[in-house]
Amino acid sequence: MPDSNSRPVRIAVVGHTNTGKTSLLRTLTRDTGFGEVSSRPSTTRHVEGARLFADGEVLVELYDTLGMEDPIALLEELESIAQSDGGRVDGPQRIAQFLRTPAAASRFEQEAKVLRQLLASDAAFYVIDVRDPLLAKHRDELAVLGSCAVPLLPVFNFVRDPAADEGVWRETLARLGLHAVVRFDTVAPERGGEQRLYTALATLLDARRETLERLMASREHDAEVRHGAALRLIAELLVDVAACRNSVPGATEAVLSAALNDLNRRVRAREQACVEALLELYSFRSDDVDADQLPLMDGRWDDDLFHPETLHLLGVKIGSGAVAGAAAGVGIDLMVGGITLGAAAALGALIGGGWQALRHTGRRLLGKLTGHVDLTVNDAILRLLALRQLHLLEALESRGHAAMIPIRQFAAQSEELRTGVLPEPLRRARAHPAWSGLCGGLPVDAARQAAIDELAAELAPG
Amino acid sequence: MVFSLNNSPSSLSTFESRWLAEAIRLRELTAGALDKGEAAHAAHGVDGDVEQRILFRAQRLGVREGLAQAVADWRPRSRLLLLGLSLLALLSGFGVALTVLGDGSRPVNIVWALGGLLGVHLLSLLLWLLGLWLGGREAGGLLGHAWLWLSTRLSSSQVQVAAALASLLGRAGLMRWWLGAVTHGLWLLLLLGALAGLLLTLAARQYGFVWETTILPAEFFVRFIQGAGWLPAQFGFALPDATAVRAAGSGVQPEEAARHAWSSWLLGSVVVYGIMPRLLLWLLCLGWYGRGRRRLRLDLSLPGYAALAQRLAPASERIGITDAAPKALPHAHVEAAHRVGGHAAVLLGLELRADLAWPPALPPGVRDAGVVDGREQRHRTLTQLAAGVPARLLIACDPRLSPDRGSLEFIAELSRHAGDCRVWLLQPAAGGDAARRAHWHESLRDIGLGEDGVIEDADAALMWLGGDHAG
Repeated sequence: MPDSNSRPVRIAVVGHTNTGKTSLLRTLTRDTGFGEVSSRPSTTRHVEGARLFADGEVLVELYDTLGMEDPIALLEELESIAQSDGGRVDGPQRIAQFLRTPAAASRFEQEAKVLRQLLASDAAFYVIDVRDPLLAKHRDELAVLGSCAVPLLPVFNFVRDPAADEGVWRETLARLGLHAVVRFDTVAPERGGEQRLYTALATLLDARRETLERLMASREHDAEVRHGAALRLIAELLVDVAACRNSVPGATEAVLSAALNDLNRRVRAREQACVEALLELYSFRSDDVDADQLPLMDGRWDDDLFHPETLHLLGVKIGSGAVAGAAAGVGIDLMVGGITLGAAAALGALIGGGWQALRHTGRRLLGKLTGHVDLTVNDAILRLLALRQLHLLEALESRGHAAMIPIRQFAAQSEELRTGVLPEPLRRARAHPAWSGLCGGLPVDAARQAAIDELAAELAPG
Repeated sequence: MVFSLNNSPSSLSTFESRWLAEAIRLRELTAGALDKGEAAHAAHGVDGDVEQRILFRAQRLGVREGLAQAVADWRPRSRLLLLGLSLLALLSGFGVALTVLGDGSRPVNIVWALGGLLGVHLLSLLLWLLGLWLGGREAGGLLGHAWLWLSTRLSSSQVQVAAALASLLGRAGLMRWWLGAVTHGLWLLLLLGALAGLLLTLAARQYGFVWETTILPAEFFVRFIQGAGWLPAQFGFALPDATAVRAAGSGVQPEEAARHAWSSWLLGSVVVYGIMPRLLLWLLCLGWYGRGRRRLRLDLSLPGYAALAQRLAPASERIGITDAAPKALPHAHVEAAHRVGGHAAVLLGLELRADLAWPPALPPGVRDAGVVDGREQRHRTLTQLAAGVPARLLIACDPRLSPDRGSLEFIAELSRHAGDCRVWLLQPAAGGDAARRAHWHESLRDIGLGEDGVIEDADAALMWLGGDHAG
């Protein structure tokens, strides 16, 4: 059937009132501004559509419908029509008959809109709030929707809620012949949830399987690209901060503390820029209703980067680079002029962890020889930056799921970042002050870019 | 070939368009977004994939920012420069050959001559190979780098454009092949120039060939000359025999055959050790570069492009409202308290779930009408109530559910069959959502049950039901 395959698959999103239909639309369209979402019942009063693209082609049209509000009376109405025609008319015809009655334009106007949209669709997602008990009105609703003869895919929403009771729902749906069921938290779907949703839909709509598979492939590709870009953003932040080396003439208290404050400010601003870029990449607005799903306050991290408590909270130990009296997290290297600086830093990059010890013993000796103090951001802050940004990324990708997990426990692979040796590209960046974009100007250096790419690959889990 | 210094920015090649896009990306990294949506908006209308739209947007912005002109200017300029360098290479090669052989007044020291002709070339080849092995993305040979540096320094506005080129090619791993092609090409020309110089001077002058040593044995030179000449000999170049080599060491003027052999040996060495490897590497680099350039696409996973891609080719588009909201919604209303004969009180649960302890201990004289859920139960309840209208009807609702029109209409209908009707919002142990409880209050107010009509507290509810109006 070339005809039916060339037009987009039409899917209606139906369900009882206040089950999260518009949230599902928002998640599937990645359009956080779609429709209106609130915890109030019957927020959506109209039918509104959205097209889903893959490679510039419309593959799917989704229609958000109003909630069904009075299915018990509606089914009664439909059955009275069935009695008058002697029950010889099939479901869709009876629905069509009902849509022509005056009741469809008055008392049941809301339901009539849903049914009209459903009849014009290839399939429907039936959104269920599994926190609700299964009531007679839900059964009647399913009976009404079922008589439209359009494939229904039940979508379980709010599955993570402790009050959720899926068993009863599954059993009843199975009795009605609805065996394919998808668990999909519309606000914070699990990773891969969208794929499962479309896969289940493809089993119901075998004729359109190819179209749906193309959509899935495109979405998967987009997700990979987005993930890669996010890791690069984080890697760039880390390289910028690790490479930063601020040389301060004269080691008087006042000059030093002014320089420290300046560096702290720059690092904070740089982190914020990264947070904003990540939010933009995931089309997440900080004024979204579901913004509280992220570990941020008003689009920024709540805990100050340079507060010792923040490090403690994250399980990062303050290294020996910290200087007593100075703000936690800024290491101080003393160097003899510019020449030894490069050599010493390169040595540091080579021997990694051992450098810290060497520097410690050498500091007093070198301090006597020079009036210059080099400020760098120490390892603990780098670890903190990496952990926070990866945590945010996890929250962005699973829309809130990660936000419910305390930052200390998130992601098993973060243990390495917390206590292990810093990734090699970061140690390399230590030796290249020119790689840092922290002090104005954009470093365009192939070696820096290579380090960023390598670091991004190392940050990727697995 | 005619070189024009005017290349219009509108005639950029596909590669140059990508280069321009990269330049725009780098500029936007430092300067922030360059357009306020107008270029992006125009790009929306472009047929094609995400990359095409990004290129279109870059073209628009590039023209405005002057970067497109900088990219367009680069091609003729770099070609002109390459032409100049090529001529220079040819001439220097020719000059080297003349210098190495001299004017014929003195016999040619063959070791020095070979070293002079091939020494620098072999050293630079070695460095290039080392750079290829160690140098990562950017290795490309000194000459190539010099050319790139010169061709981008001729104009002051081109630094950013050059950075974009380096970034684009470096990312694709093409820098080494591209600059390698330039380096090997220039060396090839230089060596060809040298070959031409050699042929010309050897044809027009008579040279003697000698080798000299203070400490090395003659046998060393025999082995060296024959060893070095073995490979050229495989290509048909002549090789001086051992007698001829020993003769050259003693300063005896060689015979004609030996002179031919020496000339052939020298030419063969230049061709086989100089021209052939450079030609091979030049072709290889050109091949790799050409292949890579055909495969080159913008790396859309770079942060700058990834965010742009979402704006230029969003995953979805709103169709808008296809079926407008009803103008007026059906609105149920409870019947306020009205006089009825009976004094009975009835408690009724509406759509209660099993986890609630139901019914509670009832005050005397109160009838439990059970829990009402489906249509049949609704009808039965209404019939019962119509038969004996109670003075007080208390409807218990679970605030964990969403209030819907069906439930509210049923509550309104029930109220017509009772003297006074109130709703008891239960307090389930699991708590439930405070927002949903508030929605119940709101919805009940809409159907006419204000603060008086809704009871939260269990004791108060049962007291009202029991007829204690003080509660």
